[in-house]
Amino acid sequence: MTQTYSKDDPTLLVDSPAALIDSIQPFPPRSEREAEFYAVRDGEMLINLGPQHPSTHGVLRVVLKIEGEKIIDLDPVLGYLHRGVEKLCENADYHQAICYTDPLEYISSLFMELAPVMAFEKLLDLEAPRRAQYIRVLTCELNRVASHALFMGWLALDLGGLTPLLYAFVERDEIVEMLAAQTGQRMLFNYFRIGGVNGDLNHDFMSRLGDWMSRALKQVEANQRLLNENEIFLKRTKGLGVVDRDTALRLGMTGPSLRASGVPYDVRRAHPYLVYPELAFDVPTREEGDTYARYLIRLDEIKQSIHMIDQCLHKMPDGPVMAKIPRLIRPRPGRAFAAIESPRGQYACYAISDGTDQPFRMHLHDPSFVNLQAMGVVLPGNLIADTMAIMASLDPIMGGVDK
Amino acid sequence: MDARLARRLDARFSDRLLRPVTGRHDETEVRIAPSEVPEVMRTLHDDPEFGFTVLADLCGVDTGEVMQVVYHLWTEPAVTRDWLRVIVDGLDRDDPRCPSVTFLWKGAEWQERETYDMFGIVFEGNRDLRRIYMPPDYTSFPLRKDFYLADDAARGAGEGVRHMEQMATPAAATRSNTVRRAKIS
Amino acid sequence: MTVMARPWRRLTPTGRIAVPLLVLLVLLGLLGFLGLVTGIIPGLVDFVLRLAGANPGIVRFIVAAVAVLLLSIPIAFINGYAELKVIALMQSRIGPNRVGPFGTLQAVFHGFKMLAKEDFTPLGADRPAFTLAPVVVFLTVVLSFLVIPFAPGLYGADLNVGLLYFFAVGGLSVVGLLMAGWSSFNKYSLLGGLRSAAQIVSYEIPLTLSVVGLVMLAGTMSLNGIVEAQGGQFWHWYVFQQPLGFAIFFIAVSAEANRTPFDLTEADSEIVAGYMTEYSGMRFGFFYFAEYVSLFIISALTAVLFLGGWHAPVDIHALASFFGLTVPALSIDPGSLGVGLLLLITLGPLIGTLLLTVPVALWRTDWSIWRALLVGFLLFNVAVGALITIYAYVASEVVAGVFWVMAKTFTLVFVFIWIRTTLPRVRVDQLMAFAWKWLLPAALLNIFVTAAAIVVLS
Repeated sequence: MTQTYSKDDPTLLVDSPAALIDSIQPFPPRSEREAEFYAVRDGEMLINLGPQHPSTHGVLRVVLKIEGEKIIDLDPVLGYLHRGVEKLCENADYHQAICYTDPLEYISSLFMELAPVMAFEKLLDLEAPRRAQYIRVLTCELNRVASHALFMGWLALDLGGLTPLLYAFVERDEIVEMLAAQTGQRMLFNYFRIGGVNGDLNHDFMSRLGDWMSRALKQVEANQRLLNENEIFLKRTKGLGVVDRDTALRLGMTGPSLRASGVPYDVRRAHPYLVYPELAFDVPTREEGDTYARYLIRLDEIKQSIHMIDQCLHKMPDGPVMAKIPRLIRPRPGRAFAAIESPRGQYACYAISDGTDQPFRMHLHDPSFVNLQAMGVVLPGNLIADTMAIMASLDPIMGGVDK
Repeated sequence: MDARLARRLDARFSDRLLRPVTGRHDETEVRIAPSEVPEVMRTLHDDPEFGFTVLADLCGVDTGEVMQVVYHLWTEPAVTRDWLRVIVDGLDRDDPRCPSVTFLWKGAEWQERETYDMFGIVFEGNRDLRRIYMPPDYTSFPLRKDFYLADDAARGAGEGVRHMEQMATPAAATRSNTVRRAKIS
Repeated sequence: MTVMARPWRRLTPTGRIAVPLLVLLVLLGLLGFLGLVTGIIPGLVDFVLRLAGANPGIVRFIVAAVAVLLLSIPIAFINGYAELKVIALMQSRIGPNRVGPFGTLQAVFHGFKMLAKEDFTPLGADRPAFTLAPVVVFLTVVLSFLVIPFAPGLYGADLNVGLLYFFAVGGLSVVGLLMAGWSSFNKYSLLGGLRSAAQIVSYEIPLTLSVVGLVMLAGTMSLNGIVEAQGGQFWHWYVFQQPLGFAIFFIAVSAEANRTPFDLTEADSEIVAGYMTEYSGMRFGFFYFAEYVSLFIISALTAVLFLGGWHAPVDIHALASFFGLTVPALSIDPGSLGVGLLLLITLGPLIGTLLLTVPVALWRTDWSIWRALLVGFLLFNVAVGALITIYAYVASEVVAGVFWVMAKTFTLVFVFIWIRTTLPRVRVDQLMAFAWKWLLPAALLNIFVTAAAIVVLS
């Protein structure tokens, strides 16, 4: 006895398999660009690089319009990881708001804490003690090394090389264990406070840091040799996804992706904060703007960060690590904007205070959000396999993109 | 605030500014009306005297009385070391409209989409103004100050606003006593 | 059967397999006993043996087919485990280490897990093609087993176009992959299937052309004949006479088997699992097995074609006769020992264990005497096993041949796994450009140079 399906059967979701292939976009187009995108011509196919995918860096959905293997157009759909951080921060007080910002770009959480902390200190007209500032710079640069190491592993994994990821994780694991010895957490550190940091550097951290520094540079260079001259890697990344200087500036890109296109804009040099004016470091810049340049720049930045950590260790003054702040934080009404250089670009916090103990508005400007727009400009004309390479080289973290 | 920059802005845009140029720490702030946005932005971007080519941030603010769109711009250190904050003030809370700056910075497209999604501010000239975070069929704008979520325990048609400081009973939470009145301007 | 309904419902799934099997075994046992007693079974056995003796060819074929099907499963398990463990060790990880000793049963359990998974067909899929695709892919791989010679005389069939048969059957896998990609009703699978078709078809031509030079040298396409033509020392192997052919063949054959760097058909960072996306359960198990068995097959083929097949690297007899010596043939006739044999069998283990316990006890002084004796006994077993293996190797050329073919094959399997760990993936257009613009001209060049050399040197 065969089972017959009736169209009136309420438990049946589709009445025929053909209904499954109807449009991915069930809603009428809301803007002219959307209408233009979803009008599919003969020979073109809409395919979903869905939110669940091994290679989109988090939950990113990209609707690709492809013709065979070639991409004609794409429409990224965001919001799968939207947690409403800005609204949550409006209903929390200033200390709690900082805890909400950690999981934004979870790979580089210290940077996510730093900008709001700096913005709130500006609202309070407060300056953190010198030692606290040095500690902030030191831990942030460590986090930058860890983040860039992970980037290298991810880029290789998206291209098919399984091994560099594990080597990158060896590096990252050491740093993260170090920071765990200091802050108590391996990933969402929750270390910075308004007015300083939460506790001076302890012995465990310093000994691990000393160990690591003695072999960091050699280890980094050994890891780089895995991929830098690999013929297949070069063929897949050189000349791919070129973003030229004007386009990059118009897109509002920041960070290593911008510097790979020839614009030497680094917030640490352009608008120095904390103790960066006292540290000597280079800002690596490349002209080509392709995936390989974006990859090499981050490797150069790792070396610069190690150099900076070295200088911090030598120059660190003694003193308190936390300024005297009132128990209840009520800044006077006003606005403050603080921008820092996170591993992905310029991360900024715009905070408005209305005199109460909760921020009136806290806007977080995320670099991955803006950098991801480059995808729409650069991908058409390339193959599906290049989507992964280019996306990995732009290094988005969906937690930050979706806030 | 950078005094030199303030003088230059005053000189150039004197009739368009809603308020004198102010600032605090390393930020300089100007206020303009929505209709002035395209010209002011183009001047700030193209004019070699200013040269604010980097759009650092674009966001919306709901003060409770009006809505604002806030831009942060950066230029070469030779001109000024400050951030320039351009506040577009006076957007009506019930029908906020503002011209788009996507003609200058393509990267403003998604940031304007986010502002539209969170506040309902319609950017005229943005080719792709649709929701970016919320689902396409979402009907409210979350970051507005009068945004409220339906309360499961609510009785009757009026649903209560929830703040972190809870009212004594859910029924005591009404719109009039829970929408935050801004003490900023 | 209603009286059995409730106890049947209370059985677990394992029980539902085990209990009927037990019942079946008991029934068969009873029947067998009856058959033996009444003399029916000896009569049947007699009849079958006479039939088999009259048709040796068919019997040989049946035995070969069954052996190949049965052997492919353990080989897939070994390859699966090797891949997991070797990749892990190269990535500073440990890999499977829980499931068996050193994790050796991990791949076996992966296979059983496939059996336990839900086996469904997606809505809208083309049922016949969807069901048959894994069968086609698995069959093409297993069929190629039949022509590979594992030892002198140990092969499925000695076709005089064995090499051509191998490539023909390997090319059939395209059909299976296309069936899988198309019938899955899934855009990712479609992309994966089409990519794989393009890849395999592109690499067929350099593959077949790269061995033409070798066929010219050997004078035959039969794999048996090619191995025999490589007799002698290791410098007679074709890898030294056809280095370019070897290189092209190696690259092309790893593209045929969808191994990294050419595994874009199953590139799991781009199109999830390619043509295998919609498969689950045993159907996926077929693809999974087919991949590992094909890894073995390509390594075995490379070993047979280029690395001398069953020949040892150094032919002791030829080497000895070069120096004017002869290696004595090893022949042990146990019967000539007489009573000594009895003494050997009874006292040998005892004396051997005691002899081997002494160094153990001296090395680990803190162990008790019984523990040392146990270890001594184990060592004695190992020693006797080694001696028997060496005797078998020396006395029987079949054992020696199988040993060398397996050694070379698994070394190449290791090399393929090594390459998979190290290299990233190529893009599909780069892959096809490489095949058509570089490998094909190189293979043609190889043919011309070989032909010229043969003409000049003969």
